Amino acid sequence: MALPLPPGLTPPEVAFLCEMELVTVVPRQRLEGLALLGGQLPPLNPPHRTPLPLWLALLLKRQRRANIVPPPWLSPYSLEAILDHEIKHEDGFSPPPRLPHLPSNSLPFSPPFLPSSTADAAADALPYHWLELGEMLLEAAADDFEDPDNVRKLLRDLREVRMAKLRKGVEVLHAGGAIKMNGVGGMEVGEGRAFVGGVIDGLRKIAASREQQRKDRDREERENGYPGTAEDSDDDMDMQ
Amino acid sequence: MALQQRIRSRQAHAPGATFLTYTPNGKKLITVGIDNFCRIYSTGSDDEPITVDDVQENNTAIVASNGFFIAGSEDGTVCKYSLENKKLEDILVRTSLPVRDVAMSPDGNWVAVASDELVVKVVNTKDTQQVQYLREQLRSVKHVAFDNSGSHLAVSCTDGSIYMYSLSSEQPNMIKKVDGIIKSLESDAEASSKVLWHPDGRAFAAPTAGRDIQVMSFSDWERQRAFKTGHSADITAAAWSPNGALLATTSSDLDLCLWDAKTQKLIKRFDDLKATVLALTWHPTENILSYTNNDGELFIHTDIVPGEHAALLAKPLQPAPFFHDPSEGRPANAPKPTTNGATSHEIPHRRALRLGSPDSLDDILGDALDGDEDMEDFVVDDDGAGYAPAINGHGKRTNGHLDPITGTLKRRAHGPSFEPQIHEAFQPGSTPWRGNRRYLCLNLTGFIWTVSQETGTHNTVTVEFYDREYHRDFHFTDPFLYDKACLNDTGALFSCQPNTSENTPAMIYYRPHETWTSRTDWRTHLPAGESITAIALSSSYIVVTTSTNYLRVYTLFGIPLRVYRQKASPAVTCAAFHDTVLTIGNGPVSSSGTCTLLYTLENVKTDEVYQASDMVSLPPGAELRSVFFSDEGDPYIYDSSGVLLTLLHWRVMGQAKWVPMLDTRLLERSMGGKVEESYWPVAVAGGKFHCIILKGAEQYPYFPRGILSEFGFVIPLSSPNVQTKSGKKNKSKRRDVDQDGAEMDAMSDAEAEDEDVVKAQTADPLLQSLILSSTLATQLSSTLSSIPHPTSAQRKALQDLEVGIDRTLLQLLGQECLAGEDRGMKALEIVTLMRDANGKMYDLARKVAQRYGREVLGEKIREMEERRMLGVEDEE
Repeated sequence: MALPLPPGLTPPEVAFLCEMELVTVVPRQRLEGLALLGGQLPPLNPPHRTPLPLWLALLLKRQRRANIVPPPWLSPYSLEAILDHEIKHEDGFSPPPRLPHLPSNSLPFSPPFLPSSTADAAADALPYHWLELGEMLLEAAADDFEDPDNVRKLLRDLREVRMAKLRKGVEVLHAGGAIKMNGVGGMEVGEGRAFVGGVIDGLRKIAASREQQRKDRDREERENGYPGTAEDSDDDMDMQ
Repeated sequence: MALQQRIRSRQAHAPGATFLTYTPNGKKLITVGIDNFCRIYSTGSDDEPITVDDVQENNTAIVASNGFFIAGSEDGTVCKYSLENKKLEDILVRTSLPVRDVAMSPDGNWVAVASDELVVKVVNTKDTQQVQYLREQLRSVKHVAFDNSGSHLAVSCTDGSIYMYSLSSEQPNMIKKVDGIIKSLESDAEASSKVLWHPDGRAFAAPTAGRDIQVMSFSDWERQRAFKTGHSADITAAAWSPNGALLATTSSDLDLCLWDAKTQKLIKRFDDLKATVLALTWHPTENILSYTNNDGELFIHTDIVPGEHAALLAKPLQPAPFFHDPSEGRPANAPKPTTNGATSHEIPHRRALRLGSPDSLDDILGDALDGDEDMEDFVVDDDGAGYAPAINGHGKRTNGHLDPITGTLKRRAHGPSFEPQIHEAFQPGSTPWRGNRRYLCLNLTGFIWTVSQETGTHNTVTVEFYDREYHRDFHFTDPFLYDKACLNDTGALFSCQPNTSENTPAMIYYRPHETWTSRTDWRTHLPAGESITAIALSSSYIVVTTSTNYLRVYTLFGIPLRVYRQKASPAVTCAAFHDTVLTIGNGPVSSSGTCTLLYTLENVKTDEVYQASDMVSLPPGAELRSVFFSDEGDPYIYDSSGVLLTLLHWRVMGQAKWVPMLDTRLLERSMGGKVEESYWPVAVAGGKFHCIILKGAEQYPYFPRGILSEFGFVIPLSSPNVQTKSGKKNKSKRRDVDQDGAEMDAMSDAEAEDEDVVKAQTADPLLQSLILSSTLATQLSSTLSSIPHPTSAQRKALQDLEVGIDRTLLQLLGQECLAGEDRGMKALEIVTLMRDANGKMYDLARKVAQRYGREVLGEKIREMEERRMLGVEDEE
């Protein structure tokens, strides 16, 4: 309890989780396959494209031992299309990538075990870790992008459009209200948690006094012997 | 100074800016100046010029065709005057700001008007209602220039860029913005930034900020050679001679220079000008250069090209000064095919007057046998824009079009002496010159590129590796002008052609990357007169095919191992892997007039021929683009229709067949139609096709090198299904609707439909994987049978493939069983296809049938199993 952190995950934590994502690299030097605790890493053999976890890819990139191939959804063309979709559809976020169809007897997969950020990922959908992955790639591997400034600008636009939606969704948050958050990314959840939690807490405090009043009245009525059935049923209706 | 006396100044106009033009037939010279008349001089007569009155004042531009001329004025009018009755005919267009330049298309139908307005107007000279507007430039325009076909317009903007428009479509569109050549000038500056189209149409030139004339090729926008003019002030006017052999430049430092276009050397400098020359024009046919200055004077400078160089002006159309002419960049084929005209450097005398006329053979027969894309836009001229044979003094055609002796090569192809079309030789993995660079070799080990230096005496060759740690990049100065190279993990191989001027024979040069003694690079000369058509390097041999149809095999230390003459000739290309050598040559002529390609596959170590003079299967009209061995040692070819093929069963004589492994036209990314791209083959490794994706209409990779992309094999069975794609779209739409309503029921509904669609699709991937893995299994088993002791990993890979086939068949069987009882026949057939690699497959198949309650099928499978057991016993 002594940790002075807000509830939920901090941005560095989200980014840390994101580093498990697989990205495609073009190695520039040979490396034998590595047997790590997290799993077997494929051998690197230039110039064959190889999927690697992001943390290793960034490490190799910083040491100039590899180039990272940006995922197709990080191309300006795709980002523009997604941004268009976000602006046109004011309620709801752009859909997440489709899950591949798997045989019924296998366990369901989810990211980071799904290659949603490799070079052969879907170009038309933002995966869960889109924001942090995009930012990290632009920071470490800007020279592997065709048009990094444009990508940076589009990512910023996307982020603002989606955050605005998330904030607007708070307006309907009252007891029983809901917003649909399909397709919201990890960083956005972490960021939204702070103020959404705050709003809900505030609402609960306001509601709590009213609740207390009602309970008091109920108790009084019960003690006084008046059956307050009619009002109760009204309340029930409200709750629904 | 007899020469000097002949050029006297003629006071054409009041002192001030004066401009001039020749009519295309060269008979008339028309000048305009700041006063309100223009003067028409007749070539060859010293009479007083004819004066045309009622012209606007302060004229800034003039163009003329044979029948009329058009002048633009600072008051914003562009007027058309008849040359016959010397009267104002029409006001073509009015602009709100001063007109700066006017250009006329070679056919005289269109006039482009540049004014201080932002828009360039292109007006039809016959119907002023037809106007096209060019609006891409952001600032006002100083100059406009039509190319020789009249389909492109170069617009020199005051922001220092050239905007290149294509006018051939209904709506004009900008094809290229060329930055960094011309200087940013005020629109009323005396200095010029006008684009000068070279008469051969493949290049243009423009004055640069450094007072040079920079030549740029039109199609690939590469900087070609430059004329270092040495003017001490900005260039005010320049012009190509009508045949493109000479360039005249002048600047406000009062010099006028003549340059030889081929060598970019100064021919003559006139430094006795009194005022800045603002416009200069060559006479379309004679040795006359006329120019006007900013003092109202006109000079008609006859015999301007001095006698010793006058022959230059009489030459036929000269090629533009490229670093590497696109038409000579192609590899030298041993016997020059006379049908493909491009390989002759001497450009034949043109027959411009007949082109496009009703009796033109080319119009009737089409260009079917022309077969040379590089030259196709080489001088399309239809109009006598100057360099074409002119109309003579009596208005009749000269006898230029009757020239039967040198007749066009094109014409010869239609004639009685039929000659087959020979597939040109090429070096796999190399690109032609573009600008001053080209790739000599590009594969998965690395790449070799060469840069030709300005002097032309040497190149700089750079070898780079993908694996920076394992090999070290190097570069060297190359005085031999290597034009072919190979690269692999053991070394780099180079070859150069014989040099006729210095009498050096062809040479090959091998440079191993690493040795345990001192470096043992070596060179070998070939016999004199023998040029190299293709080279190949494997991990143990070097293969060279030559123009004399010899195949020469050396070891890596330069010991000649085999020399023999190829059966199929002339040679096209070769490839090598370990001991296996694949050579391809032109074989017998097919019905379409092209040679069929024959290949020979052999083991040079054991001297065993695997396949002798077998056909390379190409679809009609397609050409071979690349030949290479995969990392497993199987031959692959890639053709111009975008199909990758491999050779199956190639170790058994007569059994080889070409199997398509990937059709790049059927790739999903190119099916969308949103991107136009082509794939330049690099290699096949790890079961994947490695290529460089080229955007647009480009044919070869260029600098900076595009990244390698890889595609898995997809044997072309069917096109990517458009039906299912639209289904997907509907689905995603529905998903959006769901989000509106946020109803869980609808959501699960959509998911259910998801599964339906996926189930309908799964059949296709199963069939694909079935045929692909059976092809790969065949290939691998053939490879293993050739190795005396295959490793356990290889054996396991083969077994995995075979088990994979059976598993796919089981899945197919399951689908058929699920589909219904009436599909039993097909289900049984699927069972017969099983290889039964591990002996349990029939058992499993029966279980699948039982699971779906297909008892009859189960029974039949059991019968088949028994029969098979019996059959095996019988054999035993």
